[in-house]
Amino acid sequence: MTDFNKIKETLVSLDVQHLIELVNEALKKGTSAVDILNDGLIAGMDIVGEKMENEDMFIPEVLMAAQAMSQCVEILKPLLGDEGSSTKGNVIIGTVKGDLHDIGKNLVSMMMESAGMEVYNLGVDIAPEDFVSQIREKNAQIVCLSALLTTTMPMMKLTVDAIVEAGLRDQVKILVGGAPVTQEFADEIGADGFAADAGSASKLAKKLAA
Amino acid sequence: MNLMGLQGGQYRPLSPEQIETIHQASLQVLEKTGITYESGLEDTVQMLEDNGATIDRDKKNIRFPKSLISEQVAKAPEKVVLCGQDSKNDLHLTENRVHLGTGGAAIKILDPETGEVRSTTLKDLYNVSRLVDQLDNIHFLVRPCIPTDIEKADYDINMFYACLSGSSKHVMSGVNDEQGLHDVIEMASMIAGDFKSLQERPLISIITSFAISPLKLCTQSTLIMQEANRNLIPVALSCAPMAGSTSPLTMAGTLAQIHSEQLAGITICQLTNPGAPLLYGGIPGMANLKTMGYSGGAVECGMMNAAIHQMAHHINVPNYNSSGLTDSKVPDAQAGYEKALTAVLASMGGSNYIHHSAGMLESMLTIAHEQFVIDDEIIGNCCKVLKGIEVDAEHLALEVIDAIGPGGNFMTAMHTMSHMRTEYYNGNGVTDRRSRGKWVKEGSLDARQRAAGIARKLLETPESCCIPEKINKEIKEKFNILL
Repeated sequence: MTDFNKIKETLVSLDVQHLIELVNEALKKGTSAVDILNDGLIAGMDIVGEKMENEDMFIPEVLMAAQAMSQCVEILKPLLGDEGSSTKGNVIIGTVKGDLHDIGKNLVSMMMESAGMEVYNLGVDIAPEDFVSQIREKNAQIVCLSALLTTTMPMMKLTVDAIVEAGLRDQVKILVGGAPVTQEFADEIGADGFAADAGSASKLAKKLAA
Repeated sequence: MNLMGLQGGQYRPLSPEQIETIHQASLQVLEKTGITYESGLEDTVQMLEDNGATIDRDKKNIRFPKSLISEQVAKAPEKVVLCGQDSKNDLHLTENRVHLGTGGAAIKILDPETGEVRSTTLKDLYNVSRLVDQLDNIHFLVRPCIPTDIEKADYDINMFYACLSGSSKHVMSGVNDEQGLHDVIEMASMIAGDFKSLQERPLISIITSFAISPLKLCTQSTLIMQEANRNLIPVALSCAPMAGSTSPLTMAGTLAQIHSEQLAGITICQLTNPGAPLLYGGIPGMANLKTMGYSGGAVECGMMNAAIHQMAHHINVPNYNSSGLTDSKVPDAQAGYEKALTAVLASMGGSNYIHHSAGMLESMLTIAHEQFVIDDEIIGNCCKVLKGIEVDAEHLALEVIDAIGPGGNFMTAMHTMSHMRTEYYNGNGVTDRRSRGKWVKEGSLDARQRAAGIARKLLETPESCCIPEKINKEIKEKFNILL
């Protein structure tokens, strides 16, 4: 019987080598890759997300946990088969047009990937029409818009409007974030949610995709 | 992150020429003006006369030849080690090594429950000692308040007991008389093992306010000081004139007078017992000329306390001084800026033992639990400044810059991981750097409220007496312990 708590603890303590050993051991014992992913790694990342939210962990540590997680996922991937592709939702994420800020959005992207979602990171300076075409192409259920500048916040509204006009509003949940963005602003422009940090963004996305 | 005993000296308000000018002025004061004394010091005066001082017994005046001063001052140790019950709290006072801690003899406390001002008790002293024990950046415990609920005759032993049972950091306090000194030495010897062990590892030291500024010896404190010298118990030669009332209004004049008083005091100690461990104890203060009260929070107090360390360093004696006070009545913005400014100046000056730097309000009249927590954070920041910026291959990080390359980021570099807990100051939790949303969610608490919460938690930890159980029992049998 695999001790998932041990996998979770090892992930949280960032001991990458030991984590990989534990994952390989679990596979040897016959534990299914899906269980290792869901009950071990993703559950561990949930703890990391919480610690991040409570500011009990430094961001570089969170990123390291995410990297450790993805190394393990590489091991599991060939074994996940069809079961594994039933990820917890397709997400597209990008910084809105006119805004070149990258880091916060990448953090969110990484946390969502670690939570088991299929994330398409479009990059920065993404025009409304590009978001629209990507929703269609990737069959996204969740769209995340990022802005750091107060001057590019209105572009979030224009992006939401473009999604409405394209007739895709019912297909997707829209999340917004970035330093100046607030819950009030999210409500005002008709987004479905707002998150203050990457940990809560990932939690919210999981909730909305469920 | 241990930030104790780092080298200061980055801020030097006096140039080498100015130091020498003040030193010569002080010698001139002792030679020309001299000092006076209260009655009851006949033996001390005789000792000074036998060694070359000029005494006018009618005028009660002692004048010191320069040679006597230089000869005796040279005998004072240039390093004094003050110990804690736990040796990790030992303080090596020398050069420009900086330590900060509590101080004072407050008689009021902002009640931790109600916030109202009330008189301090023995229990308050014990609680504050426990708080100080758990706040890492407060390096030592000078008894910060007076137990106003007990008889004066019980003060000495009970004050030291409350401090030593609540904290394993070095404990310093004044005593009322020679009997009190002997009692306290006896109790501390029991904790240290025996008297000799106490001399080797002084867990306690004594503040002796030997000088009544300007230029007058106080009989009781001088006798206590000399008795401590004979017992090789370290003393801090406290003298604290206020510019404008008990010393000249000007900073230079105040420094010169203090330095005179210190040179005279050190001479008495070294004649009493050559090599006796002591701290130069000049504390330059300022009178509030509108009330003649003390202005502890003035920025000039920080400047002058940095300068007085330079004077002590000039004669190679470690020093005890004061900074981190405020004249505010509550832990507010004024308390924050006055404390931070004076504490950082005295620290950067290289002061060896800066007392008064945690917990006090209203200059030296009041203490508050939350203020100890806030001041712990201020002291941590001050010490971090002393640590400076390391510039070596590892800290220059050229390899990392090259590996990451233009356009990348450093968030996941191993270099980041290995330095992120040590390169920058990690606070004690009182400083808020979260988003407004999170701050609101947790009750929109200001620094004072957060500090009060931290203090409450620290005092909720299980009590454990720092004195070993068996010795504690013996002490309680022997002395009238009221705690």
